[in-house]
Amino acid sequence: MSKESTAGVIFSLPFIIGLIAFILVPMGMSLYYSFCDYNIISEPVFVGLDNYKKLFTGDEIFLTSLGITFRFALISVPLRLFFALAVAMILLKKTRMTGFYRATYYLPSIIGGSVAVSILWKRLFASDGVLNLLISGLGEPFTYSWLGNTSTAIWVLIILSVWQFGSSMLIFLASLKQIPTSLYEAAKVDGASRASQFCKITFPLLTPTLFFNLVMQTINGFLAFTQCYIITQGKPMNSTLFYTVYMYQQSFEYYHTGYGAAMAWVMLALIAMITWLLFGTKKFWVYDGGL
Amino acid sequence: MKKGIVTLLVLVLSLSLCITAIAQESTEPINLTVAWWGSQTRADVTQAALKLYASENENVVFDGQFFAFADYWNKLATAAAGHTMPDVIQMDYKYLSQYVSNGLLADLTPYIEDGTLDVSGVDQSVLDSGKVGDGLYALCIGINAPSLIYNKTLLDANGIAIKDNMSMEEFVALCREVYEKTGYKTNICYNNGTTWAEFQMRAKGIVLFQEDKLGGTQEDLEEIFSIYEQGIKEGWHVEPSVFAEVSIGQPEQEPLVYGSTPASMSWCAFYYSNNMTALQNAAPEGVELGITTWPSDEPQKANFLKPAMFFAVTVDSKAPEAAAKFLNYWTNSVECNKTLVGERGVPVSAAVAAEIKDSMSAVNQTVVNYINNVVTPNCSVINPPVPSAASEVYQLIYQLQEKVCYGAITAQEAAAELFEQGNAIMAGK
Repeated sequence: MSKESTAGVIFSLPFIIGLIAFILVPMGMSLYYSFCDYNIISEPVFVGLDNYKKLFTGDEIFLTSLGITFRFALISVPLRLFFALAVAMILLKKTRMTGFYRATYYLPSIIGGSVAVSILWKRLFASDGVLNLLISGLGEPFTYSWLGNTSTAIWVLIILSVWQFGSSMLIFLASLKQIPTSLYEAAKVDGASRASQFCKITFPLLTPTLFFNLVMQTINGFLAFTQCYIITQGKPMNSTLFYTVYMYQQSFEYYHTGYGAAMAWVMLALIAMITWLLFGTKKFWVYDGGL
Repeated sequence: MKKGIVTLLVLVLSLSLCITAIAQESTEPINLTVAWWGSQTRADVTQAALKLYASENENVVFDGQFFAFADYWNKLATAAAGHTMPDVIQMDYKYLSQYVSNGLLADLTPYIEDGTLDVSGVDQSVLDSGKVGDGLYALCIGINAPSLIYNKTLLDANGIAIKDNMSMEEFVALCREVYEKTGYKTNICYNNGTTWAEFQMRAKGIVLFQEDKLGGTQEDLEEIFSIYEQGIKEGWHVEPSVFAEVSIGQPEQEPLVYGSTPASMSWCAFYYSNNMTALQNAAPEGVELGITTWPSDEPQKANFLKPAMFFAVTVDSKAPEAAAKFLNYWTNSVECNKTLVGERGVPVSAAVAAEIKDSMSAVNQTVVNYINNVVTPNCSVINPPVPSAASEVYQLIYQLQEKVCYGAITAQEAAAELFEQGNAIMAGK
């Protein structure tokens, strides 16, 4: 080995060790456990495909949680992208405070997944929380239980998720800035309205970024955990039970860790499939720069 | 100049290494990690007791870790898998057999034999509750009993009298009366443990969690849910939505002491007696709590004394002997138990219990009095430890309770589902 490649290996070693120790080995173990009857504190016992069989044939809650997760992702991802784009468009305009606003809107996506914000959110939507106090201010005392009601609890989680549009917003902002101003100038000369400028120039040139954001946020949406775990725990009556939280319950509350591992692999397969489907739609709506 | 700085740094570094080495040689600290679950009150008194022990044994360094009940068991299970369990862990009756059968706890018998751990002051039956097979794997550190803790101030102000060993009928009448007079509702340990269900079955002479099935018929089980159905229908049970906003099982957030309106609060809480301190500490200023038995038509059959909790030494401990010595201190030191103020239940050593009685707070004296004079003369032997499948049945009972309270199913349907699914879970399917 030359001196240079030795240095290269040494520098990348921390990453390689990390990858093996914290990703590849645990993944391998998880795959093995998914074929086992395993409860963490005793030794795993190999049971073949039993866990997978039980998932698809004998577990209603598995299907319920899958449905809820799909619903959550289908509503929150488009909403989040919409807000991200809308706010990015507004912040594109240069004023003295732009930098401040950008930082402010980005903040929720750094802290939004944290436990503290989840607890804050829980208080905000409590029956004696800030939201109800504000509504009470309009007249009658209002003590609706947002979290205690099967039809509204999921929306508390969706709103929290939409609120964290910052990282998508930054990516939109970066690519909005790269659209050559000459295109807009030409359009203006031709008398195009702002709406048609958006539809004919901005949006098509943004589609690659939109696609990237869509894929990333969809994956994030399916993997959402903290909000549900802290705020609702799947309550009431499993109406907000995210797939990941159910997986956690199976693994660490009922100690069906092998079963939980099987759920994780099913999730991986599902996400891979959805991502593949999204890539399949790419050629119909994503502008590839004419390349 | 630069060379000078480097030399200086090297000197400082080597000097500090030398000092550390010397320091280590002279004391050889023993690190003991102690883990437990429970309220803030418990955390405070336990940390204080650890500090006290460390001040008397300067080579012992403690790391006290505390969690909420549910998180504690997750954490412990993961630590068990990685063989990094704390030295001393608080153990529950429910999990004892599971941990012993997986070989995770150290047998304390040798330490008793060599005199490190003195248990001569502990009642044999209490000591035996920590036995599995021939080994003593856990040391009971407090005794308690199911207890109905109620808002005495509220009831007194409204001229409502309460008596020990109420029947179910009297209890329901009381719930209605309190609701009508004050607007305060009742919480019958909603989604918080299944002791109440087991307690109800005990009154019928049934052990709920048996080796591979549930005790009782479907009709017997219906009683577990019908009280909720009735309470919600008549309006005196706390609405299930209230519980969506709190952490169930944390005494600080129990509707007895936590809530903004009478409609979201309860006049009583179904708990174990040792939680009275935590509840009293969490109660609003000026509210005095009282304690009585859970309602039952057969108080003697239903009531029981429970080893509140245990301390166990794990097989992962590098200093099991030091851990045993610490348990000895915990059991026999009057000073230590004065610090602990009986928060985990009545001290197991009779001598210690007598010694600290006068220095206990008024609340704890009430609890000791309740255990000794109300429950002890009128109770029967506790159920055997539950098999591990029971924890999944708990979740099932919680979900069924929830559905009954939201009016999604009737008590009868809930009982049918519990009978069918619960038996399947217990049978290991």
